[in-house]
Amino acid sequence: MISSTIGIWNYWIVFCLMMIGLFLVIGRKNFLKKIVGLTIFQTSVFLLYITFGKIKGGTPPILNTSIDTIYSNPLPHVLILTAIVVGVATTALGLSLVLRINSEYGSIEEDDISAQDLVDYHDEIETGKSIDLKFKQ
Amino acid sequence: MISELLINAFLVTIMLSISIALIKTRTVIFTVILTSAYSLVAALMFITLDAVDVAFTEASVGAGISTILFLAAMAYLPKKEEESINSQFIPALSCIILGGILIWCSYDLPEIGQLTAPIHQHIAPEYIRGSKEDIGIPNIVTSVLASYRGYDTFGETIVVFTAGVAVLMLLENKNPVKKNKSQPKQKFKKNA
Repeated sequence: MISSTIGIWNYWIVFCLMMIGLFLVIGRKNFLKKIVGLTIFQTSVFLLYITFGKIKGGTPPILNTSIDTIYSNPLPHVLILTAIVVGVATTALGLSLVLRINSEYGSIEEDDISAQDLVDYHDEIETGKSIDLKFKQ
Repeated sequence: MISELLINAFLVTIMLSISIALIKTRTVIFTVILTSAYSLVAALMFITLDAVDVAFTEASVGAGISTILFLAAMAYLPKKEEESINSQFIPALSCIILGGILIWCSYDLPEIGQLTAPIHQHIAPEYIRGSKEDIGIPNIVTSVLASYRGYDTFGETIVVFTAGVAVLMLLENKNPVKKNKSQPKQKFKKNA
């Protein structure tokens, strides 16, 4: 019983971590926190993959001289190596988007930004500049 | 072998507590440091799960470069996170429901470390054999990365290049000449 619980305990916690990452992305209004949530989500998916590749009593997949060595599965390791580097690239892109938004709006809170957009929209209506006109320019 | 799994369970629980702290905190510097710690504990977990290459990539790239990027971005951003006006009930509820479904499905997953699991049957033995006989590199991960799945790595470099170009384009044009808005929004700027 204990052995089987330990056997799938990793999966449970990894799923909890995924959901915490997802909650940070959809529940928090701060853009930096959303990117942190993406990172958490990513790392938990990496953990899930590497957990699949583990073999009890196995060694890291580096060849040695003895015949009867069990190597852990190298394929998830390769996939996750690629995914880690791509993950950092997407994080950098997201952070630069956040910086650009901050220099345009002076805030990285989603509520602030949509409020500013609403104010702009009403300003444009009051000054008589319609949105269609703006697009035609 | 049970001790290996116990260490795993312990480390993954530490990761859970770090991420719960991430939900609680509202200060940006704590957020960044907790993310870095999370990556480091993940690197430790990768070592206990026999993925040494992944572990040092995660420690250098995930915990190192990511943290530097976050700290660099943090310097230009507000230091505090504001409390949200809206209720967070619906996002939390949907996450809990989805997590419950996933945990329910986890009973169908193979236990950790079983040699009979489907993932170990298909192509991994071929790679382990071929790495020695066809390529001659002792590190199997390297031979798979550079040879068997070389196109993946090529695609990865394209993705990183594209992201680099996009970052340069976004950050270069600080004061755009053409403005759609009639006047710049000075009144809202806290720290530009």
